[in-house]
Amino acid sequence: MANIFVLGPQRPDVNLGLALGKLGDEVKLAVISAGWQEGEGDLEALQEIAGRSLVELQLYHRAEALMAKDQWLKERYRERQEKLIELQRLYRIRLSRYMQAARDLLVDDGNPALLRHEQREAISQQRALDRHHIRKITAINAEFSSQLADRPSTELDDVRAEINEQLADCGTVLITGGNVAVLLNRLQLFDLGSALANKDIVAWSAGAMVLTDKIVLFHDNTPEGHRDAEVFNEGLGLIGESVFLPDAKHRLKTDDRIGVALFSRRFAPASCMALDNGAMLHFKDGGMLEASGVRRLVRNGNLRKVSKV
Amino acid sequence: MNPVLRNLVRKGPPKPKAIDRFIASSSFPLVDGTDVTFVYRGPAKEVFLRCWIAGINTAQPLQRLNGTDLWAITIELPENSRIEYKFEIVDDGLRELRLDPLNPVIAQDPFGANSVCQGYGYQRPVWTEHDHESREGTVEDLDFRSKSFREQRKVQVYLPARYKANRRFPLLVVHDGEDYLRFAALKTVLDNLIHRLEIPPMIVAMTTPGNRTREYTASERHADFVVGELLPAMAENYPLVDDVNARGIMGASLGGVASLHAAWKNPGIFGSLLLQSGSFAFSDFGTHERGPVFNPVVRFMNEFRENPGQPGTKIYMSCGIYESLIYENRSLVPRLQAAGVNVRFEEARDAHNWENWRDRLRNGLSWLFPGPVWMVYE
Repeated sequence: MANIFVLGPQRPDVNLGLALGKLGDEVKLAVISAGWQEGEGDLEALQEIAGRSLVELQLYHRAEALMAKDQWLKERYRERQEKLIELQRLYRIRLSRYMQAARDLLVDDGNPALLRHEQREAISQQRALDRHHIRKITAINAEFSSQLADRPSTELDDVRAEINEQLADCGTVLITGGNVAVLLNRLQLFDLGSALANKDIVAWSAGAMVLTDKIVLFHDNTPEGHRDAEVFNEGLGLIGESVFLPDAKHRLKTDDRIGVALFSRRFAPASCMALDNGAMLHFKDGGMLEASGVRRLVRNGNLRKVSKV
Repeated sequence: MNPVLRNLVRKGPPKPKAIDRFIASSSFPLVDGTDVTFVYRGPAKEVFLRCWIAGINTAQPLQRLNGTDLWAITIELPENSRIEYKFEIVDDGLRELRLDPLNPVIAQDPFGANSVCQGYGYQRPVWTEHDHESREGTVEDLDFRSKSFREQRKVQVYLPARYKANRRFPLLVVHDGEDYLRFAALKTVLDNLIHRLEIPPMIVAMTTPGNRTREYTASERHADFVVGELLPAMAENYPLVDDVNARGIMGASLGGVASLHAAWKNPGIFGSLLLQSGSFAFSDFGTHERGPVFNPVVRFMNEFRENPGQPGTKIYMSCGIYESLIYENRSLVPRLQAAGVNVRFEEARDAHNWENWRDRLRNGLSWLFPGPVWMVYE
């Protein structure tokens, strides 16, 4: 079974080398840096850390090239994206109300016996909305996949085969941070979930988020102020029961105990883990072997250091 | 009177050592909620507080505390206010403007420096200060010959961290660029906002006028220079996104007028305008009282208010409520909205100064050029 190393942002300190050291110096490395979009393939810094040549899978540029040539694919892809964007907008309408209600109830000082039940109920409604949303997303993704599958052999199949061939030569795959939507879309387009399941993976930030079964977008400090965390899409599902929160130090109001408690309870039993610079988690056989520099959001509103499970 | 000061003098004139202790243990001015007490110590016949707040007496006398060389005045300053001031000391028939010797917080500007009073609740935004985690962009000079001004012109060009010549970037043109760099920490702000993903990596062309009162007062020649010379020079030398929505122009005070004028004369060139405390003087009828320098500004603004057209698709405006221009700025907003421009207007409890403009940059830039903060996890 493959190893998966999940890291926090690689800035200002880099711990990628540490993770790679645990996997051996000889293994050939593939890189997925599609999250960097136009910057995909700027690998100088990574190469220096890895100390060996890297195979960039070029998912971003390959997708761009395919879309430019294949009008049918471009149209279907655009249709799916439009549906997902609209669905997200509709989800957000209910989300803000539910979140506000749950937050109000968590700070209310009414009759404790009655209040506890109402709080539970509010969070349960929130969880139901998230489940509903992910079901709708899954259906849209499935529809897109089946459209692709129904099509006779295409250039997309050829590109997928090329990527798989490149991957077959590599023992470990690095997945960088970047734009999580772009990264996920490319991974889905080239159907890389099952191919990656058999590889050792080192992933950070957005790269880590896409490995889970549920991607949650979050930022408490945008220029427009607080935004409620949103379930964004299903991930590759290589790591279960986890919500990764890269750069939580800057993005999350960790001293907002109500917000932290709500976050934790909303996504339970998944562990919501703050992946700050220097964080590292090592998974193998579906279990966590090692954790350092990672904190978990807990239901009392605190963050607790994650130790080996 | 401020309670600490009241305590000091409650048993009669304090001894000099007691005053020394009071000064050593206090931060000045004394901020007690919305009451702010300015204190001066020293020999003088009269002492005045000079703060440039429109609508109130700009020279308010401090009272000498009996039997001491301490002078004080308390004014009411609303929460989150920030004002700049000096003391005017009158002694031996001489009048002298001085920084507050008890207050280490000062703000620089092209005319020197002022002491800064940070009212209750005001905090300097963290994104205006150097962040060692932010990747730093660079500033380089671009020199070219201007046909409009018949002389060599230098533009300072900000290139974002991780700049690559093979990618394309939005462009922002900044009036009074050198002053924005020196007095409004523009480079630090850009570095920080780009690092935080609140704005996209962008190229910024910072211009400095030759004769500011001629060039920035709705001058045709200046508008031609910006659009006919500066933009082509930037496009020739840097990889820019060739799209109106990826092009912005900004300025403060007369720089705001120059920005609006250049955009208005050249519709469809700039998508975004950032106008800070614009000197948008106008006259509903008759003449104006701002002096002859403003004649071309008033002519332009009167014409503009009649026919705003579409100078841009998005305009962010800010103005301090302690400056006289608040009236002109407020009254411009509905005109722009009626013309179909997407306007965001922010009022600040501050005055006509560079730190006011610095403190508004995040809201303005991130609204005009929203970054990928929600989707990118680096």
